[in-house]
Amino acid sequence: MWTRTIRGRVLHFYLAGINNQNFLMRDKETGTWWQQITGKAIYGPLQGAALDLVLGDELTFGQWRTESPSGQVLAPVAKYSKEYDPNWEPEVAKLPVVISFPGTELKSRDVVIGLTINGAARAYPWETFAKQSPVLDRVNGTPLLLVLGSDGKSFRVFVARIDGHDAEFFLQADTPVWALLDTVTASQWNFQGCATSGSAQGKCLARIPALKDYWFDWRNYHSDTTIYKH
Amino acid sequence: MSPSRLSSSQLRSQSQTWRWRWIWIGFFLCAFAGIAWFFVPAFIIRPFRYQAPRALLVAMSLRQRAPIGTLIAALACFILAFALWKISSRWGKALLTFTLLVVTFSAVMARLNYFEWMFHPLPGPQFLAQSESKLGPREMIMSVRLGGDDRAYPISQMAYHHVLNDVVGGVPIAVTY
Repeated sequence: MWTRTIRGRVLHFYLAGINNQNFLMRDKETGTWWQQITGKAIYGPLQGAALDLVLGDELTFGQWRTESPSGQVLAPVAKYSKEYDPNWEPEVAKLPVVISFPGTELKSRDVVIGLTINGAARAYPWETFAKQSPVLDRVNGTPLLLVLGSDGKSFRVFVARIDGHDAEFFLQADTPVWALLDTVTASQWNFQGCATSGSAQGKCLARIPALKDYWFDWRNYHSDTTIYKH
Repeated sequence: MSPSRLSSSQLRSQSQTWRWRWIWIGFFLCAFAGIAWFFVPAFIIRPFRYQAPRALLVAMSLRQRAPIGTLIAALACFILAFALWKISSRWGKALLTFTLLVVTFSAVMARLNYFEWMFHPLPGPQFLAQSESKLGPREMIMSVRLGGDDRAYPISQMAYHHVLNDVVGGVPIAVTY
């Protein structure tokens, strides 16, 4: 998700094509071509400009509903209801790919969580992440916490730092409600990254934008990406 | 027979033949430009095919100028075809007609976004209170929270529309999937 104000001008985007299975969009105001995954203007009057990333989440509706009691949901349009495929994930996974990176240990359609910290990109293979969650890691000096929700599908990435102190987090095993515990303050943390009890209560961890993507697509736009191993 | 022996009427007819030839050549050059202007980028930017960086650049630069380029080419083709019509045989006329049809098709297509025929856009999106949504609890959504507004975009819907222009908490955003 991107902001769409560039140099004080609000742009309106539309689908305009495809570039190695990542779509291209153009804006109605200038006709500039933008790459979806990078938010960069790759051709046209605004070439070189970049949209600002909006921090968003990929969650299950169930998880989001509990966090957003007054939230609004995009309404389906009846005439396109046949096109809305609830089974989109396995369907897309079957589609062929046109670029591949044979030197790496991941397959093109492997799902990864991709993130960038001050220019350093890292991909977390979904399977490894889901098995190990919560994952603690460090990228470019920043301590990271990657967490899978109790639904096994929602995920979030945080800076693993409380009041300037690097912290480790563990899944609390003996509670009915999903919670993390940290090693610095021994506080309980919820999936939104906020402490719900303990001395850190009321504090929230900083968020890191992360993208769930296919390996080939992430690798194509982040040629120097490292892969998380543990 | 050397050219110096040609009579003036023979000379005139020979130069006229060449003039028609040049008009035909001009017609086909215009037609080629008009047709290529739409078909080359359409061929390069096709789904499930590899797009090389240079080819993509060519495609975008042609497509950027295609609305005006195909129009000029089509107008030039029509003017030349009008001139050629009187001197053309039945086959010549058929060739002119067919070529003009393709050139016109190209000029029309250069103005249309056929990607939006496959994946319809969603202008003026409507929203439901979360309690009214019929989504299942395990269906995936993309969500954003800005300026006190909290919105969810079901991925099953976004995977079809791909792009959505929205304003959340007063901030214009593009939701993309």
